[in-house]
Amino acid sequence: MSVDVYWRIGTHGDQPSLRRRVASRGGWAPLGPGSLAPGLRGGRPDGYSHLEHMGDVARASESAGFVGGLLPSFPFTDDPWAATASLAAETSTYRFMVAYQPGFLHPVQAARMSATLQQATGGRLVYNIISGGGGPQQLWWGDKVDHDDRYARTSEFLDVLRGVWSGEPYRHKGRFYQVDGAHLPDELAAQPFPEIYFSGSSKAAIEAAGRHADYYLSWLEPFGPLAEKFGQVREHSDRDPRFAVRIDVVARESEEEAWAEIRRGWDNIDPAVLQDATGDSIGWERSRSFVTGRVTGHRDLEVEPNVWGGFHLLRGGPAFGLVGSYQQVAARLDELIELGVGSFILAGVPHLEEAYRVGEHVLPLLQRSTR
Amino acid sequence: MAPQPPELEFHIVLPTRSRRGRRFAAALTDPRRAAGPHDHVAQVARAAELAGLSGAVLPFDPGGAESFVLAGAVLRRTRYLRVTAEFHPAVATPVYAAKLSLSLARFSADRLDWKLADLDPVLARAHGDFLDGPERFRRAAEFLTIAKGVWSGGGFSFRGRHFEVLDGGFGEPPLAGHPLPRVVLSGTSPEELDLSAEHGDVHLFDPWDDIEAATERLPGLRYGVRLRIAAREDAAEAAGLDGDLTGGYEGVAAALREFARRGVTVFHLEAAPALEETYRIGEHLLPLLAKEDAGVR
Repeated sequence: MSVDVYWRIGTHGDQPSLRRRVASRGGWAPLGPGSLAPGLRGGRPDGYSHLEHMGDVARASESAGFVGGLLPSFPFTDDPWAATASLAAETSTYRFMVAYQPGFLHPVQAARMSATLQQATGGRLVYNIISGGGGPQQLWWGDKVDHDDRYARTSEFLDVLRGVWSGEPYRHKGRFYQVDGAHLPDELAAQPFPEIYFSGSSKAAIEAAGRHADYYLSWLEPFGPLAEKFGQVREHSDRDPRFAVRIDVVARESEEEAWAEIRRGWDNIDPAVLQDATGDSIGWERSRSFVTGRVTGHRDLEVEPNVWGGFHLLRGGPAFGLVGSYQQVAARLDELIELGVGSFILAGVPHLEEAYRVGEHVLPLLQRSTR
Repeated sequence: MAPQPPELEFHIVLPTRSRRGRRFAAALTDPRRAAGPHDHVAQVARAAELAGLSGAVLPFDPGGAESFVLAGAVLRRTRYLRVTAEFHPAVATPVYAAKLSLSLARFSADRLDWKLADLDPVLARAHGDFLDGPERFRRAAEFLTIAKGVWSGGGFSFRGRHFEVLDGGFGEPPLAGHPLPRVVLSGTSPEELDLSAEHGDVHLFDPWDDIEAATERLPGLRYGVRLRIAAREDAAEAAGLDGDLTGGYEGVAAALREFARRGVTVFHLEAAPALEETYRIGEHLLPLLAKEDAGVR
């Protein structure tokens, strides 16, 4: 089975580089000279929205060789369903991986939206199912279900979604959902069911993934712990599970050049942020747990060759990514393929330009590197 | 100076199902794609845009494509149309419905509006909604309270019988500060009118409703009417056509002016075939109304 390489479409704007945390693309920084989508023309907003930039990233990564793009979903991002609905007609082979939490949509509505998108794109919708943590974050969304119950709900949600998709009147009475006579109209029921990428590191998550996931998706972590996690998923799976990893990449012609880019960003980090060990919640804690010793310079977060755990300090998002020459990054990705990874979601900042760089310089080296 | 009469708005109700042509003979090359209604819906929306209509409505159609997804596509391919997506309050949590809608609004210079549907019991259960009776309207009110609340700022908390939010809301730029979608509601039961009085911006009637009796209970709203319409050069040519309002252009325009006289300023027009009829409305009917009513657009 061939390896699918996805890119990421930022739903939270973008910064021009990892050097400064200024999200001047998409409207997340105050509008001013240098802002893009929206930008200023004659001193006034030019009428373009973040969607224009997301569309450019989709088209760029499609032409650069990525099979599709992940659209993440967080409280202050744009919505992946809305972006996909708006951009569906503007690419031809590109798959839209929509991140969503099952609890927020009713499964019948999710089936209707999904099948409509499948119809619009010729079957290019992919799910990234996230079940979410607990606590205040979930109540922001208006979701009262507890952490472990949330995976039970995700399971039931996906059962109902598949049941509705059949086209025959479907009946279900469960803990979270009840439907009577639900079905999609024939044209929609004939659409292919989306591939499922499933995330979550807890025991409940891994059990649910075993039942529903086409791909078990993890953030990049040092390769040892990652392989262990894959092992746990294999144990809980009825079928042979496939694995996917989300990875931020800084790849350059030479290793020195790549680290120099990180260094420029590192030098601009507010020292107070570095001293605050609780820094950026889960991302930071998780990265700290893999980092031994005192952190005095950026290379102290390189926990194994080319695996760097400080990305969350340079942009919003997970901690770990790969830093190195094109050859090195390709070699590490090949190692992950050997660990069982069948799909990657790569990303780089800025997403537009880095899609071309990674597509042109790294992807052609994959599965060809000599070791 | 006399106050300006409110501007009349004409919205075309868009199709949500495929427009199927008959099969070609095998000897003929058939280039048509089986791509569902998407291209066709976009074409009708473009027609409405070019023909100068105010808006387009994506109905909640259990037998057709989903309205938010179609709304996204239609907004993307138009510049001026207001696009009304119809849905029912059990499709999503109100926070998520608002979040999805806010992105559609951000992508379209705030051209998205909402129409809230109330499903009959059998259909509702097929869509996973088992709530019965007047409680349905209480839930709709909670839904709109939360959806508007989170849209309008941060630190929003609400605990109702059906929904709850804690310290929610899109209080930070660039999500903050967008005008709310207009809320279109309908129905003439006391519960429906109460809901509309509290949360509606436009109340939509059927042409046979006692509009005057209802609008007394809905001060400050705009009133609309849903009409299946078919107009032709003259009444004779229109004979045989099906619809709530059929006839020659002049006669149909007169009937629309009569609705306007009764306070109706928003028209949701259903016409088939949608593309051809939308052009007809734009080219022949709207100019007659523009001539005598400066407010029309």
